[in-house]
Formats: sequence, structure tokens, C-alpha cells
Amino acid sequence: MANVLAWVSGSGVVQGIIIGAVFAFLTAILILNAVGRSITTTVNGWSAIPRCGQPGNGILVRAACAKALPVVNAFEEAAYWTTAQDGSGQTLRGRHGYTIHFAAGGLPPNDAFWSLTPTDAAGYMVKNPINRYSVGNRSDLTQNADGSIDLYIQSAAPAGYEQNWLPTPPGAFKLMLRAYLPGAAILDGTYHLPPVVKVR
Amino acid sequence: MNRLILKYGFPITVIILAIFAGVVYQRLSRGWSDVVVLAVAAVIVWAVGAPAFILLWPRITVHGYKQAIVKHGLGGGPIPINTLYAVPTTASPAESGAGLMATGADDLLYVGGWINLRKGPRVLHVPEMAGRYYSVQLTDPSESANFAYVGVRTTGTAAGDFLLSGPGWKGTVPIGFSQISSPNNSVLVIGRVFVENDSDLSAAYALAQQIQLTPLNQ
Repeated sequence: MANVLAWVSGSGVVQGIIIGAVFAFLTAILILNAVGRSITTTVNGWSAIPRCGQPGNGILVRAACAKALPVVNAFEEAAYWTTAQDGSGQTLRGRHGYTIHFAAGGLPPNDAFWSLTPTDAAGYMVKNPINRYSVGNRSDLTQNADGSIDLYIQSAAPAGYEQNWLPTPPGAFKLMLRAYLPGAAILDGTYHLPPVVKVR
Repeated sequence: MNRLILKYGFPITVIILAIFAGVVYQRLSRGWSDVVVLAVAAVIVWAVGAPAFILLWPRITVHGYKQAIVKHGLGGGPIPINTLYAVPTTASPAESGAGLMATGADDLLYVGGWINLRKGPRVLHVPEMAGRYYSVQLTDPSESANFAYVGVRTTGTAAGDFLLSGPGWKGTVPIGFSQISSPNNSVLVIGRVFVENDSDLSAAYALAQQIQLTPLNQ
């Protein structure tokens, strides 16, 4: 018995098990991230995974979804897009200002509501001075003369367009746009969100 | 805790790998034979462990939600199994401590609960929503798949009673009830009730509280 214990502590079998388990965990994460990327559709920097939450997915897709979007709504119930980058691939940061330009009639089609929420890099809302944590279809957005709409995603209020202002957190941040009961153009993939554009 | 892992996952991983490298290097310096057992054990655990983690990932994730619901609750204390709890406020940064809720939408009130159907079916009651958007998502924990919805899209906004039965239940469905067969005896429930604006909050909350679970024979 004492010999066995001595072998266990001296041979490195325990260390091997620990190292193997950690590598197994990291391998699983790498595989799930890769599968997650392969089922993600990204247009104009916005990413969505329409397959998540549906019954009938295989084990890899189920696991990748559980990691990327745990217990997410089915896509036909709510479409979610996220981005941590502007349209040119640069990380979104609170020290920059950004706009999103929706052409006239180009807001996300839906039968319930849509809203756009900024969060910190980990996905949590961050306090801001005007306590506004989303803009959306109930924000009474100000239209441009041609009927298009610009959202201002920046730390300071845009003069004359306060209704279209989404205050940003400091540091790197993420945006999530939700469209509940998404319209046919979202479900068939023909609707695309416009890119987030950095203000020069 | 989750937030810290999300934020510092990369540096933590680097430190752990550095410690491993140190351990292996120390053994190597005493000769190749000192690492053989370690390497064999590591490879076996790795080869078995990686698929196991992937296989169990959906279940582990949903059980994280179960723990959050049953042990900690969503701000109002633990939520007993087979009951639903309506969160009285929309998601906001103030909820950061509660974790789950600070990642939600601020146009919705959330309802959460965990159902166990082993002792018989449960009745999910929803009130007359008068056209208001709402949904009750029913998730199978073993696959993390939404096997059914009650709500505007699937059942409309009229009041209703839905008989939620587990696999193998053979009883008869009472008149006036719609049956929803669950592929699993455990079910994660996530309800969402739309809030138009701040002045609509109390009306939305009153409706969210009326989304309830009862045993069949009550």
C-alpha cells in the first residue's frame, strides 16, 4: 500500500491526469469555438447563429451553441446579432464615436419589437449618466430629411439627435441587436444590418 | 465569478500552462524516464476528456441555469422546483450582482423556473395578454434545445392552460387543456413579457406574475 502511494506521488500520474484534464478542456473550447464560427453568419461585422436553440442539432452544434449563446431563443422567436467590431474590423472602444445608418425603411423588420444594447466586453450592461441602456422601435428616433435614420453610439450626446443617442461604456464594448418575432426578410437571410461606422 | 473568468480567462490559462511547463521541465531535467508516466496519463485523460467535455457541455450549461434558479433565484430568493418567479424589473446594470439578469434585454420582464415532471404533469397557465408580446420558452436540459413555445407566435395572446407531460405519461388530457409533451422530465422555463415603457412596467409585471405552474389535479 505504501509502495502504491509512493508511486502515485512520485511517478507523476496525478500531475499527468491534471495536465490531461486541462488540455482536454482547452481542446474542447477550441473545437467548440471553431464549430461556433462555422455556423455563424457574419454580414457587415454583425454575427448571428440562426441554428441555435432549435431541436435536431447534432452534438457539436448543440455544444457550440451552449457555449456561444446558452439557452438562446429559437431564431424565429428572436433574432440576435452581436458585434465587438466596427464595419472595418476594428474593436469597438468607448473613446471613439460610431454611427449606424439605416436607409429609409431599413430598420429591422419584426412583428414585436427591436432594440440595440451596448454592453462591456463580457456582455454586461454598464451604468451611464442618462440611464439609457437601449434604443429601438419605441425610442421616437429622429429621421433625416430622406427618411433614413442614424444612430449615434458615443460617449457624448449628439446635438439635435439626443433621441438617437446610445451612450457607450468606457473601454472595449459589444453591441447586441435583438429583433423579436423577426420578419420574413430576416428569417430568409435577405435583410442585413448596416455596419457600425467609426466617426472620423 | 463568471464575469471574472470571461474577462481574465486568457491570462489565467497562460499562467496555468506556464506552471505545467515548469512541472514537466523539472521532471525532464531528471531524465526522460521521469516524464513517461505523466505523459501517458495526460494523453489518456486528454483523449477521453475532450469528447466528454463536448458531449456534456449543453447539459452543464443548462444545469448552471438550474443552480442559478433553484439555489440563488433571480433576485427574490431561491425559486422552488415546479414554481415560476417573475422578475419585477427589466434588466439593468444594477442587476450585475445577480449575474444572469444583467445580460438580458431591457424591454422585457423575465420569468424563470425549473420543472420536474417525474411525479406527474404540470399545468402551465398563461393569462389574457391582450395582444402584448410574450413567450414562454421550454428547454430540454439534455440537449439545450427549445422543444416548445407558448406565446404570441405559437399559441396567441388569449388566456390558456397547457398540460406539460413528461415522457411516457399515459393519462388523459382534461377538456380545455392543450398538451405539450416534453422529451425530458426536467424542463427549463424562460418567460418573457414585453414592457412598452416605464409606465407600462406595473401592468406587464402583473401579467408576468400570472404565468404560473400548478399540479394537474388542482
